Amino acid sequence: MKKRMKVAVSGIVDVPLETKSQDKARRDGTASLKEGRLKAYEAGSDNVGKFLGLLGRRISRSLAVSMTACVHCGMCAESCHYFLARPDDPTMTPVYKADQIRRIFKRHIDWTGRVVPWWVHAESPRTDEDLNRLKNIVFGACSACRRCTLNCPMGVDTALLVRFTRGLLAELGIVPEGVFNVSRDEWETGNQMAVTEEDFLETLQWMQDELQAELGTSEVEIPVDRPDCDVLYTLNPREIKFDPRSIANAARVFHIAGERWSLPKWGWDQTNFGLFSGDDRLGGYVARNVYEAAERLRAKKIVISECGHGYRSTRWEGYNWAGYAQKLPTESVVVTLGRYLREGRIRVDPARNAEPVTFHDSCNIARSGDLVEEPRRVLRAVCADFREMHPNGRENFCCTGGGGLLSMAEYRPLRLEVAKIKAEQLKATGAKLVCTMCHNCIDGLNDVIKHYGLDMKVVQVLDLVSSALVIPKRPSGAAGGAR
Amino acid sequence: MPIIAQDDKKVEVNEEGFLARPEEWDEQTARILAKAEEGLEEMTAEHWAVVRYIRNYYVEKGLAPMVRKICQTTGLPLKQIYELFPSGPAKGACKVAGLPKPDGCV
Repeated sequence: MKKRMKVAVSGIVDVPLETKSQDKARRDGTASLKEGRLKAYEAGSDNVGKFLGLLGRRISRSLAVSMTACVHCGMCAESCHYFLARPDDPTMTPVYKADQIRRIFKRHIDWTGRVVPWWVHAESPRTDEDLNRLKNIVFGACSACRRCTLNCPMGVDTALLVRFTRGLLAELGIVPEGVFNVSRDEWETGNQMAVTEEDFLETLQWMQDELQAELGTSEVEIPVDRPDCDVLYTLNPREIKFDPRSIANAARVFHIAGERWSLPKWGWDQTNFGLFSGDDRLGGYVARNVYEAAERLRAKKIVISECGHGYRSTRWEGYNWAGYAQKLPTESVVVTLGRYLREGRIRVDPARNAEPVTFHDSCNIARSGDLVEEPRRVLRAVCADFREMHPNGRENFCCTGGGGLLSMAEYRPLRLEVAKIKAEQLKATGAKLVCTMCHNCIDGLNDVIKHYGLDMKVVQVLDLVSSALVIPKRPSGAAGGAR
Repeated sequence: MPIIAQDDKKVEVNEEGFLARPEEWDEQTARILAKAEEGLEEMTAEHWAVVRYIRNYYVEKGLAPMVRKICQTTGLPLKQIYELFPSGPAKGACKVAGLPKPDGCV
């Protein structure tokens, strides 16, 4: 007698489409919306038809491979923290999520779906409600961490399919409200937290004043738009809006290392929401702002502050989205710090970081960005007790806040539920501090720590380097001379 | 939406712990949010200086103030703001002041 498998499906597909912000943007005549760079939902227009048309036009070779190569072996299921935390819910497996777009592809593009649709489970969306359910799956049930991709024997890139589907839906305005809001802010203000130029400059001035007071010299600066610098530093807007200490930390290190550096007045946001919303147009816009700033200031190198999606977008993907030929080296600030340590340009005392520290590899830095060893080299130099979590490196579990989930409040309960996997991983290290190179991960991990009552704090690499930094008696004022 | 009840007051918050209807804030709500969301058993004069400044700014301008303005007006260094509100100015202090959640990947 066949035993029925226990199935407990999450209710995530039923989250309705909220259009309050979109309606307001229409009423306000928001420029990016009017000019068609940003899209809003239009009820009653043939959204399904448009969706299928876009699908046909945007299919690329790599997408087609991921659509067709899946043999439904189920290995991806064991890699996904959504499924590991909810093993009775088959809708949490990567293969199920990918199948939601795959079945549409099979129905409309692949010949098998047109000839024997029932055999390959081909199916077409029929209403806007179907598209909304698809939105909930690709935005709410997946953090696009790519752990499944890494473990797929056929090379199916589920996260690529998820991002592709998000892009199609974004073109129709069928997106969670948080996604619309952040996209709108990034289009309108050039940064994803709507920080004004005035606030940007005043915050930097404030940090500079504090640094000068601290180090007792007016030679330490936070320069803006200084031409012919060696390093163009780019930020996560969170650093301006919430905690500018990281900017002060970077400036202090640059000063002691004698670096000729500058921030740009425009094009300083490296975070690039286009990676999460699937919108290559937005991705290209933000990335291009950064590249053009570097060109305008004749910088020799672009350095990216600690941010996961910023790293992947600015270092790797942005050049493709923007169609911009890369001319300058682009690196993470952690690589820069590693170089300063190796070359002896900064000195550190690891005894100052005495508490046990573990490192959380961010998905977009380790797995999708190929930066694994360098942060560890830096941490071993600045910490007395560094310990790995398991798994780590490219096999690490997502902080659970990735893929833009932190901007989508409606998916939070599910996100925190499946964060159980991450909580167990963190607890097992016995560390008091978890260090990460990504602002997104800071908030993602803080949510996990708070929700599961862990006794840990989240820090960044720059924080630990700054704590251990030995400030020379006479700081090397070789920071490029007067502005 | 989840409801936090304390004494005889009920406060409705969204999934992230932010006040569901920002216009319904009062000082008792602030105390309730501070305890439930930030783990603060009581609010000191410094807590109140920060919260009142943020609230007034929001009522006047409809936005959350930049952290720099919070520090300058209250005279508290940024480090102390983080000590007073463990979740920081945006997720901690602004939440207690009854502001809606800030946009962005945070």
